[in-house]
Amino acid sequence: MITSVEKQYDRFGFCSYRIIKNNVEWSVPLEEANTDYQAIQEWIADGGTVIDNGA
Amino acid sequence: MAITRITTANAIADSSVQNVKMSNIVQSKNILINGDMSIAQRGTSSSSNTTGGYVTCDRWLADIDTQGTWTLSQSTDVPTGQGFANSFKYDCTTADASPAAGDKINLQQRLEGQMLQYLKKGTSSAESTTLSFWVKSNKTGTYICELQDLDNTRQISKSYTISSANTWEKKTITFAGDTTGAFGNDNARSLDVIWYLGAGSNLTSGTLNTSWNSVTAANRAVGQVNLADSTSNEWYVTGVQLEAGTTASEFEFLPYDVNLQRCQRYYYKRLSENAYGPGSQGMQIGSSNVMIQGYHPVVMRSAPSMSGSNWSIEYSGSSAAWSMGSTRTSTTAWSSENSLSGTDGNAAILYANNNTAADITGDSEL
Repeated sequence: MITSVEKQYDRFGFCSYRIIKNNVEWSVPLEEANTDYQAIQEWIADGGTVIDNGA
Repeated sequence: MAITRITTANAIADSSVQNVKMSNIVQSKNILINGDMSIAQRGTSSSSNTTGGYVTCDRWLADIDTQGTWTLSQSTDVPTGQGFANSFKYDCTTADASPAAGDKINLQQRLEGQMLQYLKKGTSSAESTTLSFWVKSNKTGTYICELQDLDNTRQISKSYTISSANTWEKKTITFAGDTTGAFGNDNARSLDVIWYLGAGSNLTSGTLNTSWNSVTAANRAVGQVNLADSTSNEWYVTGVQLEAGTTASEFEFLPYDVNLQRCQRYYYKRLSENAYGPGSQGMQIGSSNVMIQGYHPVVMRSAPSMSGSNWSIEYSGSSAAWSMGSTRTSTTAWSSENSLSGTDGNAAILYANNNTAADITGDSEL
């Protein structure tokens, strides 16, 4: 279960999400075929707040 | 002679091929991966499961929705003399004798559509498929297996019976081909193969649907016993094979390394194995970032989620603890950029932080 979502940036811009899922930290690509990415979109649709500290 | 391992089918005489005959492709006859439950990269046992997930044997998803509490494990209890070393075990540790309508417990494997094109689903030549497996439980009675087509919202269910308590039994179920609805030819989830172990009335209140039809939830698991009704209950399965055709051939044993590589398309965990073992390499990018790059062990289904723990990084004369930073991944490789100050162009090395289980993990499961 996802408990936290944060945008990650590198030199080129927004590149991935950092999530906590089942107490493990993952970096999730911006890839529609990735099931964690799909879960993030559902988590956002269900009212989850994405942390965005900028680049 | 049966095909007993991955081979190039068009290089074999037709007389050698029992069930699967295909041209110009390398193909395992078993549509399912890790059917002998021999690969368990995530671990061999997981307790207190109420929601399930991918927790032990690779590729096998325990789908648990608030129906009891379970220990899930890679077991060494196997049918005698069949060549198996492992099975997948469900052990009920908190019972739920009266499941709510939406509760369910099942074991499933999710499959990519591009792996299934030779079944010709959605055409007049659609192939039948035959599911075979060894199963054992103290809980006798009716159990349900299901094929669910995610692309076209269709499904078919069949029942089987566990006749003798605590005895390994081999079951064979044939599903007709479906002339309606093709699988997408891509890396997305197209087919779920499901073994129910319990279900509430949402999935059991109708009439079991034994031919391909549009999904009616109430017809999916009708008659299924409730494996969650006692903490004495256990269920084991191994030797799982789904193949084209109407007969079950002998289980296809693959070499361990081949089986592992098939699993790694969906998930891999690379361990340091040595307290200060090698991780990866990179370099200082500008004055404030270090980039580390690595390759996946096989081409993955999609760009994976990445995780890494218990590593140290040596960079620009300094060292620090390291975990996966801002990543960019592909099906073949990954990079991580972390905020660390140093001299542009200096090398950086990742090594285990006095931990033999430092890991780089990629996950592109369905």
